[in-house]
Amino acid sequence: MDSTTFVPVADATSHRSAPGAAVRARGLAKTYGKGASSVRALDAVDVDFAAGRFTAIMGPSGSGKSTLMHLLAGLDSATSGQAFIGATEITRLGDKELTLLRRDRVGFVFQQFNLLPMFTAEQNITLPVELAGGTVDREWFTTLVRTLGIEQRLGHRPSEMSGGQQQRVAIARALIAKPEVVFADEPTGNLDSRSGAEVLSFLRRSVRELGRTIIMVTHDPAAAAYADRVVLLADGRIAGEITDPTPEAVLAGLDALRSLESPVPDAAAGGPEAGAR
Amino acid sequence: MIRITLAQMRRSVGRLAAAGIAIVIGTAFVAATLLAGNLITRSTYDSIAARYAAADLVVESAEGAELSPAQLESVATTSGVVSAAPQSLAYQGLTHGNRTIYQGVIPQPDDPRLMPLELTDGAAPSAADEIAVPPDVAERLGLGVGATVDVVRDVPGDPETGELEQVVDPMTISGLVADPKNAYGMSGGAAVVTQDTFDQWGADAAGGEVTYPEASLLLADGADLEAVRAHLATTLGSAFDVVTPDEHAEAAAAELTGGENLMFLIFVLTFASIALLVAGLVITNTFQVLVAQRARTLALLRAVGASKRQVGAGVLLEAAILGVVTSVLGVLVGASLGQLALWVARTGPVAASLPATITVTWQVVAVPIVVGTLVTVAAALVPARVATRVAPLAALRPLDAPTAEKGAGRVRLVLSVLATVIGFALLAGGAALGTVAREPSLGLALGILGGATSFVGVAVSAVFWLPKVTGLAGRLVGSSGPTARLAAANTLRNPRRTASTSTALLIGVTLVAMMSTGAASARTSLTAALDGQFPVDVAVQGAQTDDSGATVLPQTVIDAVEAVDEVAAVALLQSGVATLGDGTSSEEETVVTVQGVDRDAALAALRLDEPVEALAPGTAVVPTEVADAWGLRDGDRLTLTGDAGTVTFDLATSDTGIGEVLVLPADLRALVTRPTTEAMWLALDPGADARAGVGHVQDTVADTGELASVSGAAVERASFEDVVDTALGIVLGLLAVAVVIALIGVANTLSLSVIERRRESATMRAIGVTTGQLRWMLAIEGMLIAGVGAVLGIVLGLVYGWAGSLAALGIMGDVTLSVPWRDVALVAVVALVAGLLASVLPGRSAVRTSPVEALAAE
Repeated sequence: MDSTTFVPVADATSHRSAPGAAVRARGLAKTYGKGASSVRALDAVDVDFAAGRFTAIMGPSGSGKSTLMHLLAGLDSATSGQAFIGATEITRLGDKELTLLRRDRVGFVFQQFNLLPMFTAEQNITLPVELAGGTVDREWFTTLVRTLGIEQRLGHRPSEMSGGQQQRVAIARALIAKPEVVFADEPTGNLDSRSGAEVLSFLRRSVRELGRTIIMVTHDPAAAAYADRVVLLADGRIAGEITDPTPEAVLAGLDALRSLESPVPDAAAGGPEAGAR
Repeated sequence: MIRITLAQMRRSVGRLAAAGIAIVIGTAFVAATLLAGNLITRSTYDSIAARYAAADLVVESAEGAELSPAQLESVATTSGVVSAAPQSLAYQGLTHGNRTIYQGVIPQPDDPRLMPLELTDGAAPSAADEIAVPPDVAERLGLGVGATVDVVRDVPGDPETGELEQVVDPMTISGLVADPKNAYGMSGGAAVVTQDTFDQWGADAAGGEVTYPEASLLLADGADLEAVRAHLATTLGSAFDVVTPDEHAEAAAAELTGGENLMFLIFVLTFASIALLVAGLVITNTFQVLVAQRARTLALLRAVGASKRQVGAGVLLEAAILGVVTSVLGVLVGASLGQLALWVARTGPVAASLPATITVTWQVVAVPIVVGTLVTVAAALVPARVATRVAPLAALRPLDAPTAEKGAGRVRLVLSVLATVIGFALLAGGAALGTVAREPSLGLALGILGGATSFVGVAVSAVFWLPKVTGLAGRLVGSSGPTARLAAANTLRNPRRTASTSTALLIGVTLVAMMSTGAASARTSLTAALDGQFPVDVAVQGAQTDDSGATVLPQTVIDAVEAVDEVAAVALLQSGVATLGDGTSSEEETVVTVQGVDRDAALAALRLDEPVEALAPGTAVVPTEVADAWGLRDGDRLTLTGDAGTVTFDLATSDTGIGEVLVLPADLRALVTRPTTEAMWLALDPGADARAGVGHVQDTVADTGELASVSGAAVERASFEDVVDTALGIVLGLLAVAVVIALIGVANTLSLSVIERRRESATMRAIGVTTGQLRWMLAIEGMLIAGVGAVLGIVLGLVYGWAGSLAALGIMGDVTLSVPWRDVALVAVVALVAGLLASVLPGRSAVRTSPVEALAAE
């Protein structure tokens, strides 16, 4: 944990492609709007996410971290560039193929948990497999619910569970189909710090013990510190990365970013992420 | 609060508009009904007024006394009166060839200004043997101006017996008279003869002097109308009223408005109120959802100082605004539809009887607006009460919007169950009264009371049991896959909303199923009764006698009729004469007609098997009444003696028996030496048009040139079925409005669900639900809601239809309870397809939800 490295901007863009990359972006760009009012949310990003690793994407509000995740997960279409999941270039896929890709190869953990209120925890967890017309791997299911500590909650509906429990159910739902990669969007954003810490531990355990690949978007340096590697984003570009981060290292990295860019924090940074969290 | 209410309405304008359509349809229905009522009154008025042409005054009988020619003469010679024409209409038969048309005939007035009809060709009748006829009559008879037509009148022949005698007068068609002002629209125009001819006919028919019910008067220019009126009133006395044509038409139209027109209005408005009731349910649903969605805002309002009253009043104000706006729209739609219908109708055959524009009275505008607004506000009462219950504290809760779903109360449960139980008991009582006690009107009254009570109970208690039924149905379809399971689970998320949506449909479907069942039962029961009286489609009876004086049906007729397309089966009836007993009795002989028929042929030709089923060698079938008269019973022996010998038969009685004694042809020959073929029974092809079939048989018989009469119940049965089907068609058409509104409710509920579940839809898309699966999920949800409402409605409708049939038709004997499978299947299919269609638009907006939205924060 001590061997933290802060790689400057110039080096980050030239970083080499790891052979075991689960997710890759090449020259990935996204522009919102047209003409003078257009905003370049993501500017020719090249980045690799290794399989079997827990990576955090960090950056200030408006840095493009959510946009990057949407493009990598096939939730939104890129303006230019390529994104790959495994060997599949998802930037070439249509809506139907993207849907099937998400169903079979990608898992999601949401800030708002997004469990279906009319289903029990167990029904929520097994839903993706059933929608795909497959059969639930009971052994894997048991492993998951044990690891996540929700065996006692399987018959409960979301409204009968705490936020932390709901998020653990959501993690189990994301992992049930053994996806190649799980995207987590601010998974602790709606949790108190203790539940948040638990959830992050589970995410890390599912990488270390269950061999999953997780990419997490967060603004919280403490949350990012649970990851194996932190990718820093600023102004739609990769601004650096930290391997084996500690909260202090991450904070230092963010501060360095700010001082690198401008002495005053960007006042224009706004959007949905600007809300108090 | 008004500002807040308006702001909130602006935010929910789409949802309000969807719900408002229900009110628009309901009020348009009411407005159109009132307009139709006005139209009837108006055209009646116009028609009556037209009959008096340019007359200034009308003398009408007040106490049943009619004007004598002498009185008419004195009226005509009153100072100031230029001309007086009697107003009278007599029906006569106009015959040419084998066609006879019964046509109303009026006398030609002296003064052409008093003539309501218009001469389109030829001249007015001027001689006693001249007649002017309506153009369509001339066309139907195939005659033109100058041709001769036979006028057939019935006159009393023998004053002793009062027997009628037919008089045929050949008359020349002097001209054609059209009826552009529709004065005699009800009688399809009128023919015109001279006053003298008309008087002569009247005198012949009455066997005395002719009298007139009314006379129209033309006054001299400058004559004082009031003075003439007062003078006539004193000379004629109180037996007659002297009025202006306008007053007369107004009185006659008013009579209609209070009578037939009122019945029509009540009849149609009943259906309009059903439609509005259903619309009210849709509105209640929408407002409940709106209140639920705004719970946070409402809580905030309460937290910053709004009173419960203000919050509730806000909801009601919103309903009132919606009600007024949609009702006004409804009136406009109703009026436009009315005008459109009028334009279309004026291109048709009754164009003359219709005014060019609709008559908009204040009632047409005010009644639908007031009723529509009241229904909307009343429908919002419960949601408004729910809104007042939102706690101010709810505004402070950080997560999950506060809920505002009200639980159903215990009082409601007890009252509705009570209403259901009592209602069904009354219904059973009504059915029992109709069948056992044979009291159809009392039974029907009790049945309607019980039906209405139980239906209110069922509809009000729906919130308790309907979700369970939906859950059960959901479990059934849920086993077919995860998409169906999702849909089924979704229907149970807002049990109250699902229940009231289904209930709205349940009401319409129940009534449709009830009417169909009732009509089907009535049709089968009455057809069965008709078959019992006359179980033959068509009977051809010989009408000429052979050398021995026996009636025969010529072989040429038999062969010709057998060849008619529509004839499916034929049985020949032979007959002979015999006497009761063995011929040795000293008592007076009873002569009986014995008919012989082949059993298989008769079974095929008759609609009922019963009268011929017992036929066997040595057995005679005798109608029960005939056997009773002879003092014999089923199983007794019957001895008959004919010119060939004496035979003793086993007697079998038949309740629906035909003729006197029915035996097999071989047995008949043992009794009678030379039986003659006297009649034939025909069964028509059930798929063929009965009227056309009977017509063909009649034509065929006529073409042979032989005498034979054609009779049968086929035409009667067909026209009876026509009446039932037409009545059913009208009722179902009126009920369809309620069903359409309910289906809009289904679509509305689904759209609201889709809006509420944006995040969920996005989540599902994110975790890999395809757009097709999402659409299908909503489709199943829609079909579940609609299907449950439809199936329960059909079951309830069957029960009500049967109970009603038992109560009303029980007096006729055995009531056949039928299930109108075709209608029932149609209703079920329509409901399912509509549920499917209702999901199309919401489905489209659901799949448009980007999966990215699942990631968005609140």
